Amino acid sequence: MVTTTPIAPAAPPVVRRGRLKLRNTLLGWTFLLPNFVGFAVLTLVPVVALFYLAFTGWNVFGKAPWVGLDNFQRMLHDPTFWVSLRNTLYYTAFHIPLTLVTSLGLALLLNRKLRGVAFFRTAAFFPYITSIVAIAVVWNMLFSPEYGPINQFLLRLGVDNPPGWTSSATWAMPAVIIVGTWREMGYYMLLFLAGLQTIPPELYEAARVDGANAWQRFWSVTLPSLRPTTFFVTVMLTIGSFKVFDLILVMTNGGPGQSTLVLSQLVYRKGFEENQFGYASAIAVVLFLICVGVTVVQFVVNKRRDR
Amino acid sequence: MKRSMATALGLAAAASLVLAGCGSSSGDGDDDATSPATAAATEAQDPVTLSLAGWSLATTPEFQELADAFHAENPNITVELKEYDAANYDTQMIADLAAGSAPDVYVLKNLKNFYTYQSGGQLVDVSDVSEGLGDEVSGLKAYEVDGATFGVPYRQDSWYLYYNKDLFDAAGVEYPDGSWTWDDYADAAEKLTPALAATGAKGTYQHSWQSTVQGFALAQTKGASLLEDDFGYLEPYYDRALKLQTDGAQESLGTVTTNKLTYQAQFGTQKAAMMPMGSWYVATLIAQQASGDAQKFAWGIAPAPQFDSSTTGTSKTPITFGDPTGLGINPAADDDTIAAAKKFLAFAASEDGAKGLAGIGITPAYVSDAVSEAYFGVAGVPTDDLSKFAFSTHDTKPENPVNKNTAAIQNILNETHTGILSGSTDVAGGISSAESRVKSEVAP
Amino acid sequence: MAVTMSTPPPLALADRPTLRRPPARPLSTVGKIFGYVTLVVAAVAILVPFYWMAMSSLKTNNEVFTVPIKWLPTQAQWHNYVDIFTKANMATWLRNTLLLSVAVTFLQVLTGSFAAYGFSKVRFPGRDLLFLVYIGTIAVPWQAYMIPQFILFSKLHLSNTLWSIIALQAFGAFGVFLMKQFYDTVPEELSEAARIDGLSEYGIWRRIMLPLSVPALASLTLLTFVTTWNDYLGPLIYLRNPDLFTVQLGLSTFISQYNAEFALIMTGSVISVLPIAIIFLLGQRYFIEGIATSGLKG
Repeated sequence: MVTTTPIAPAAPPVVRRGRLKLRNTLLGWTFLLPNFVGFAVLTLVPVVALFYLAFTGWNVFGKAPWVGLDNFQRMLHDPTFWVSLRNTLYYTAFHIPLTLVTSLGLALLLNRKLRGVAFFRTAAFFPYITSIVAIAVVWNMLFSPEYGPINQFLLRLGVDNPPGWTSSATWAMPAVIIVGTWREMGYYMLLFLAGLQTIPPELYEAARVDGANAWQRFWSVTLPSLRPTTFFVTVMLTIGSFKVFDLILVMTNGGPGQSTLVLSQLVYRKGFEENQFGYASAIAVVLFLICVGVTVVQFVVNKRRDR
Repeated sequence: MKRSMATALGLAAAASLVLAGCGSSSGDGDDDATSPATAAATEAQDPVTLSLAGWSLATTPEFQELADAFHAENPNITVELKEYDAANYDTQMIADLAAGSAPDVYVLKNLKNFYTYQSGGQLVDVSDVSEGLGDEVSGLKAYEVDGATFGVPYRQDSWYLYYNKDLFDAAGVEYPDGSWTWDDYADAAEKLTPALAATGAKGTYQHSWQSTVQGFALAQTKGASLLEDDFGYLEPYYDRALKLQTDGAQESLGTVTTNKLTYQAQFGTQKAAMMPMGSWYVATLIAQQASGDAQKFAWGIAPAPQFDSSTTGTSKTPITFGDPTGLGINPAADDDTIAAAKKFLAFAASEDGAKGLAGIGITPAYVSDAVSEAYFGVAGVPTDDLSKFAFSTHDTKPENPVNKNTAAIQNILNETHTGILSGSTDVAGGISSAESRVKSEVAP
Repeated sequence: MAVTMSTPPPLALADRPTLRRPPARPLSTVGKIFGYVTLVVAAVAILVPFYWMAMSSLKTNNEVFTVPIKWLPTQAQWHNYVDIFTKANMATWLRNTLLLSVAVTFLQVLTGSFAAYGFSKVRFPGRDLLFLVYIGTIAVPWQAYMIPQFILFSKLHLSNTLWSIIALQAFGAFGVFLMKQFYDTVPEELSEAARIDGLSEYGIWRRIMLPLSVPALASLTLLTFVTTWNDYLGPLIYLRNPDLFTVQLGLSTFISQYNAEFALIMTGSVISVLPIAIIFLLGQRYFIEGIATSGLKG
């Protein structure tokens, strides 16, 4: 058993660097191991297999002939790929900021000693646990062009030609974004709530002593101290938005036309419906690269802010 | 960095071995269990257990019906059912076949995925079974690839026009008489709608599926093909559907999808006086009227409306569409099992099998007077002359030609369907963009 | 590239006094009433789909989807709540789902928080790259590697057992990432002090990190539990034996080829939401009490 060993940053000069490094490596791996064994065998191996399959013409049954970059070249000339990439970016560009703002707002609002706060927190979390089919039905109905309350309301406000929402190619994506945000805000609120607990109260006291108002305290204390949580939420939200699947499936199934077709749905279609698993894997790899690219940028930005 | 790349490649190699291994040798486990040498000789005596895939077993009695009837004729062969999810049957089956855990006999739910299974080497050549079957079995041709047969149909659904006699009477409109073209159908819908305004029912109901328009257009238009990049034949069918939608004679596609309307509720609770729908709905409607889920009303089935008058009238054979449902054998099964499975396939497509299926309200692939008699003996099946004609006389063309591009083209056409009926694009524009997409996206 | 992201809070905390949340300043009565009204309206709006789901559970099948929508059943079908237990195996499904959710949550929280300590507080070569690999796997759509994974699981004889779902969910990267982010906020000085007091690294994890990250553990527990509880695609791919079905998979058996029992699906959905709602109601207090009560005194 490793006992009291100061670790890297505060290493006392007596311990030789090499031994320390080895010891830290062993120590680190003992912490990782229980999770890593399961992770490596059950998730990493199939994921690596997927990367291999992206360069093959695999059709699920039997051999996977190597085709080099063919799948990626085909993607370049596949208009459907570009349409779904565009739709995915559209969804992501709006869903991320909207969800960040609403979930942080909810967390700040519900991080007080209010009467009934338990009820409100539970209510905010309910969209995430309610059956997604029920969500799709009720929201579709609320959005219904002729009968829906939303358009009735817009008409009353004086909007002459209210949008067709999920039955119109132009408005289907905004509708999906609204529902996606509504559904996930409680989920991320929970993470923000947990993050808010780690902010030491005396930071607020110090700021108050300095005469900072609520707005200034938010900017100079809350936001900087929340950064690890915000970072986590942003990364998860980015990846989640790029991979959005089940919500689209039940809300619009990609339609009308191709107006809400997204990449992960295309992956499923090409794979399970059209049995082109090699091509589907290649699309998944591109989706992965986009996610990782954005995440790495977030890492770098986050790190720069740390300094 | 370098080292982790090497590790990653090592893992990839290991993983690909796993994948390659399962494709070729998934049957090994089963082979070890029996002695293959004596397979053919002892097949008649040794008790054999066949596993058969099915879905929603509690509400879909056809699999148990076939299994029991077959076991009664072949006491040494027991058929055990393995349940699959109805909505995700093919996803689950593809996974099971890929991993070598699929049952011995599985259902080919539609022709769209038949190509996937056949070209992937997941179906045993059953030409010897199909040679023993006569012309009475419709839909058999669809399972032929390069002169060999890889599946045997046991049911053959086809599309009819369902109509609510009570609502027709209330509106004072003549029942369909077998002479209808699509224009007659549209006229009737337009007449019914205002006459039924007080009841809240519409003239007709067209479900959200692309088949409701494209299936008929493909089957009935001369020279129409799914696989050529010319979909002009869809145009008159979409013009008609759009007009019915704008006139309010049927719910719009937007209303159907946004409210997740079900055709069972729309026709079963008298929200529409007519509905083009597949023959499977006969059994469902009878069951729902008995259980109270559907209201009690008099109804009948008529032949599907026709492209033009050349195929209308009870002296001609109306053209409609529908994919057969077939059975295929998993090549991973051992020889004894395959021999037993072939017997089972032959039985499912035989007159005896068909009579049993017809007795529970299913339209079997095997067509004969005895089968019709069994079908119309089911309590609740409409027995007027036109219903009988619609059941027994039709030329049913497959909705999905067997081809590697069928699934991809159908996906494109489905997007065209929602694009046109939602008004996102006009008919001609939607069709021409589908044509150019097929050219650029679908492998030649 | 390096991917460290520790964020020491701006103030040194080593010598801070006992922690106590300062009393919130009293809001004006008008503001309070306004705030409550807003909250109540928002809560009601948010709960509309749930209300519709609950009402649909009392309808007949063909009454569920209608134009225009029906907010009340014509005649409440209370027997749906009996039928789902007598005609379907709701009790079995609930038991399986509970079993899986508890097992997965336990493993995920335990191994995740343990591994997170390695990623956050121990420096060793390759750590950051490995961490990026962890996060990277989250970014791969599951639909794409579902089949390779299924083949692998079948080789390991896991498919069609409850173990498959545990294996599928318990070792994900989510918990590791979440816990690492929270450990990063714990000031290094605390661990230092503990080391001087003679605590081993495991002792620090157990005695300092875990108590300090109660809010994070609470959210990880809840989110993992909910994810497993509501998972549909995993059980769909891996489970064939009806005795192993989970609630979500069981409910999908109400959809058959030519018909669907939507009322029963809604009944089952209501029943399946309730345990989570109760757990949440009971557990949410950990999000206020986290660091303040179980904090740094120990």
